[in-house]
Amino acid sequence: MFLETRHIEKNFGTFRALDDINIGVREGTIFGLLGPNGAGKTTLIRLINRIARPDGGEILMDGRAVSDDDVRRIGYLPEERGLYKKMRVGEQAVYLARLKGLSRREAEGRLIRWFERFGIESWWKRPVEELSKGMQQKVQFIVTVLHQPRLLIFDEPFSGFDPVNATMLKDEILRLRKAGATVILSTHNMASVEELCDDIALINNAKVVLSGSVNEIRRSFSNNTFEAVTRKSDQKLQLPDSFDVVSSTCEDDIERLQVSLPKNATANDLIATLLNQCQIVSLNEMLPSMNDIFVEAVKKGGAR
Amino acid sequence: MNKTLLVIQREYATRVRKPSFWLLTILVPILFAALYAIPIYLALKPAEKSIVLVADESGLFGSADRNDTLRTDSRFASTNNIEYRYAATFEYAQRSMEADDDIKAILYVRRRASEAIPTDACLYYKSELPPQQVRYDVDRQLQRILRNRLLQAHNISDDEYALITNTRINLRTEDLETGREAFLEVKTGLGLVLSILIYFVIFMFGSQVMRGVVEEKSSRIVEVIVCSVRPFQLMMGKVIGIALVGLTQFLLWVALTGVALVGIQASNSELFHIASDKHNITELATKGSDATLQMQQNDQLADLPSVIEGIASIDFNTIVPLFLFYFIFGYLLYATLFAAAGAMSDTDTDTQIVSLPLTVPLLATLLCMPAMMNSPSGMLSQVLSIIPFTSPVAMMLRIPFGVSTAQVVISMLLLLVSIPLCTWLSARIYRSSILRYNLLTHWRKKNK
Repeated sequence: MFLETRHIEKNFGTFRALDDINIGVREGTIFGLLGPNGAGKTTLIRLINRIARPDGGEILMDGRAVSDDDVRRIGYLPEERGLYKKMRVGEQAVYLARLKGLSRREAEGRLIRWFERFGIESWWKRPVEELSKGMQQKVQFIVTVLHQPRLLIFDEPFSGFDPVNATMLKDEILRLRKAGATVILSTHNMASVEELCDDIALINNAKVVLSGSVNEIRRSFSNNTFEAVTRKSDQKLQLPDSFDVVSSTCEDDIERLQVSLPKNATANDLIATLLNQCQIVSLNEMLPSMNDIFVEAVKKGGAR
Repeated sequence: MNKTLLVIQREYATRVRKPSFWLLTILVPILFAALYAIPIYLALKPAEKSIVLVADESGLFGSADRNDTLRTDSRFASTNNIEYRYAATFEYAQRSMEADDDIKAILYVRRRASEAIPTDACLYYKSELPPQQVRYDVDRQLQRILRNRLLQAHNISDDEYALITNTRINLRTEDLETGREAFLEVKTGLGLVLSILIYFVIFMFGSQVMRGVVEEKSSRIVEVIVCSVRPFQLMMGKVIGIALVGLTQFLLWVALTGVALVGIQASNSELFHIASDKHNITELATKGSDATLQMQQNDQLADLPSVIEGIASIDFNTIVPLFLFYFIFGYLLYATLFAAAGAMSDTDTDTQIVSLPLTVPLLATLLCMPAMMNSPSGMLSQVLSIIPFTSPVAMMLRIPFGVSTAQVVISMLLLLVSIPLCTWLSARIYRSSILRYNLLTHWRKKNK
């Protein structure tokens, strides 16, 4: 395991922010850290970053306790992010890169390449306050990844991004994973979780209530519902009483049928029933969306 | 490269490049130069001419010849820019003033049958108040003429009068051991300037630290930075960076003020001579008729060498290093605390509340200054110059008067010891508050 937390605890006074948190992040994957507001995601990220210290438990990287050296190889884009408003873009990016341990020359060389990639070379000498929010986000992203960290942590990266920048960010995250980086993504955006994440952990009320690979979780939440697409037939379809038709829609000569099957039935049973009555175009299992799973898991735990 | 050094570099570079830094750097020496130059300029500038009509019913202060109604009389002596003319009657004077705009005022002395000597005179003006200088001069000359009349009436000669009024006994304050004079006024002035300067420096640069911290917090860049730099390094980098800005500015002030003063003196050296020549001429002109006036002037001039002597008596070799010591360490004591106050605030308005505990001791020292000047070695002065939070300002006020070595050493040691303590405390507050928002709102709710 690349990064592992064991029995992490954190209290703010009498308030328990994190309680026995155990998560494991595999190398080269994108790990989604989910949970409602105030669940403790940002606190956990700060502990991994060593901005704050846990009250109990340990955080391991490559099986060892996280050291200052490891932290230098983390790229962190916080949820509440900003830049010095009065400073010039280039100068500021160089400063932040040097704080991460790059030399001035190295920082400038890499920054120029990144600025060219994003087509923002002309911003170099402009003060940050002249940039729009979306422009500032691009600069922040570059600064986060510039020192080629092994671990990237994005806290709510899509909040405040316009669709163009959000897509760009998504593509960049996937590209970084391809290049071998490990990514921790804290987000509310469930669509992006399905699209990007390999594994997730759902934190609610300071505890991990759900964790594992996205596909497995979705499968385990499956309620045996299928969508059958068929050619329209003149007769009305006859289904057994135990088959529950969730919805049925028609468009042109295509009929879409969503059917919830009883526990002991399989897709084969549905096919067998339909086979004699109409012409099947396709049949898909309908896995619940991460959004549904999130809402259900959080409801079960109860909000604070 | 050391990260604290990087932070220091950024703090210094961004501040020194600001236009406001250079504006302040240039404005302060200009202010000092102006304080020095404006009195000289005013002294040299020819004042506008004023004419005063004297209508005296008593005849005591000279009267107009009936044949020549606007004859200048020697009894009210005209000066460079005030011309006295006699008018036969008040009504005539009034008509003259209507006709001539240069006539600024009428001095009317009414005769009352009951009085041998008039006790009441009035200076009338029309719509425009006559210059202060005119009113002073009229009053001075009235008293002079009256006195001369009285001296004559009582047969007292000018010499006798001069002897009585000019014989003075001079009271000095001297140190019993060294036998040196104390020059209290000079030392009070110097102490006041030095302590206010320290107060100003601590406040100005301390609040710059505070605003810098709030800026990082409110722009939310701080979370990115504390990932690469420890909060303590960030705080100390800011405190030291701003200290260097302060020192740079201070040295520039000293240098530029020096240049400005030398420049003014060089460009005005000729005018200086002319001014003193004029002074001599008027002095000569009034010598015969006005011995006392001359004596008054001599009195004022006599003060000047004593001021120079007083300045020369000050031990600058002690004051300058001590000033730099309290300048730097007084700032360091407060700067980290101001940083902690900034960390607890979300906005500039919050800082005003949070920094109150810091401004109170500074302001209190300032308010105690009159009492301390009255008694530079009194109980209050001693206590305030030893407590680290008040000692930088209080000690600077006392230093010119001479403070025992033991007290200075104790005060310096206490200040030096408190700095790491305050830094430790501030670092703790800073670290725990820098990433937390709405601390003040929470605190207020709790205490409701």
